[in-house]
Amino acid sequence: MSGIDILGLAVLGLFLGLLIFYLGFGARWPAVFRPIRGYEVLGTSIERAVEAGERVHLSLGTGSIIGTNSAPAFAGLVMLKRIGRVTTLSDKPAVVTTGDGAMTILAQDSLRSTYASEGALDRFRSTSGRFLGPTPFSYFATLPTLLSTEDVSVNVLAGSFGAEGALAADAGERGQSFVLAGTDDVQSQALLYASASHPLIGEEIYAGGAYLNVGEAHRASLRVQDAVRIVVIGAILLGTLLRVIGVSW
Amino acid sequence: MIWAATAAVSGVLVLLGYFVRLDQIPTDGLVKILFDLRLLLMRWAVVLAAVALFLGLFNLFLVHWSKISEQGNGWPYSAILVASFLATFVLGLVFRPDSDIVLWLFENIQLPVEATLSGLLAVTLTVAGFRIISRRRDLFSVVFLVTALLILLGTGPWLLGSDSAFSQLFSGIRNTLAQVAAAGGARGIILGVALGAIVTGLRILLAIDRPYGE
Repeated sequence: MSGIDILGLAVLGLFLGLLIFYLGFGARWPAVFRPIRGYEVLGTSIERAVEAGERVHLSLGTGSIIGTNSAPAFAGLVMLKRIGRVTTLSDKPAVVTTGDGAMTILAQDSLRSTYASEGALDRFRSTSGRFLGPTPFSYFATLPTLLSTEDVSVNVLAGSFGAEGALAADAGERGQSFVLAGTDDVQSQALLYASASHPLIGEEIYAGGAYLNVGEAHRASLRVQDAVRIVVIGAILLGTLLRVIGVSW
Repeated sequence: MIWAATAAVSGVLVLLGYFVRLDQIPTDGLVKILFDLRLLLMRWAVVLAAVALFLGLFNLFLVHWSKISEQGNGWPYSAILVASFLATFVLGLVFRPDSDIVLWLFENIQLPVEATLSGLLAVTLTVAGFRIISRRRDLFSVVFLVTALLILLGTGPWLLGSDSAFSQLFSGIRNTLAQVAAAGGARGIILGVALGAIVTGLRILLAIDRPYGE
């Protein structure tokens, strides 16, 4: 069909095919994922916070839902399902903050459906999903007050951040809380590596669902990433080899 | 189920619209319909995002108003926020957002505050650099710190002059680190992030993840 990017559709088809394959047959060959320290400690830290009557904070960043940087916030929403399940019965339920109005609504809906599935809808408060500010620094300006006044002891940053991500992580560290932080931007990842005790590097932010046992689909999608990564590495090596021996196209 | 189907169909239509080659858009037919549908849905999304921003601001107001009502921890900060919020909102409505008084507020309050916070970053990162060794004593932290130090030495001005041997040496090290090691590593990270973003999007398109509720 003229006017259609066939190669792009083929790549999409490859992703879809692999995802369906791993969803259907992945259980026959269980995968072992490498340990990621932040995710390993997150579960224990949340349980400790619930027992101590302290709060868990999840930040979905300052990215817009209609922008190209919405994907890490969606990965954060996946983590919210797991966090929501554990903190449903806590005296201080988890609080989710965003820098985008639409993302705030999604955070509230995700929390509401988690509360409903746990049979605790009467405990849900719409103010658990909060919009902190429309610009990156106005978002950060209100965050330290929230962390210090609401007894936050677990601080998860999973979304799109610029430089304000490092300030947010540092605010959590200064409050002696557990800080797990990941984003999609490479430069911000370097800042988070310096400022957070448990930084997530590269695609690790998208692995939250698989590591936190949100569902089989998340394990399958992580295996899809690894499979396509091998294909990409193979293509890069082949291209390099061909260029070295003088073949170009 | 209806929400999931609506979201999935809208998502697939917009995604397929992205595969239409911009240099070969036909004047009619299925490809043209796909492209137009994508544009229409994206326009709706922009309008909805604007409405959502308004709802977000209402949420911001509500959270801080309830904090003031309950005299919760840090309520004076909430009071300042609500007062500033209302003042700016009313001034914007009365004098319009591009009026001198609203622009004055923006240029003399918001911009300096944001610039100050931006300036904090340098201090924060310097302190974080020192703390990283006490927090994570591993090889990667040492490599990170040494690299940061070498980049600083290769970028900053030297007392002996920019043509001294030391300056030339560190400038060369900086260029090699930034243009070879860092650029290669960054490309690898970007590839991984892209793969993760694609499968995250696919899970939403297939209604496996439903951030819009059940």
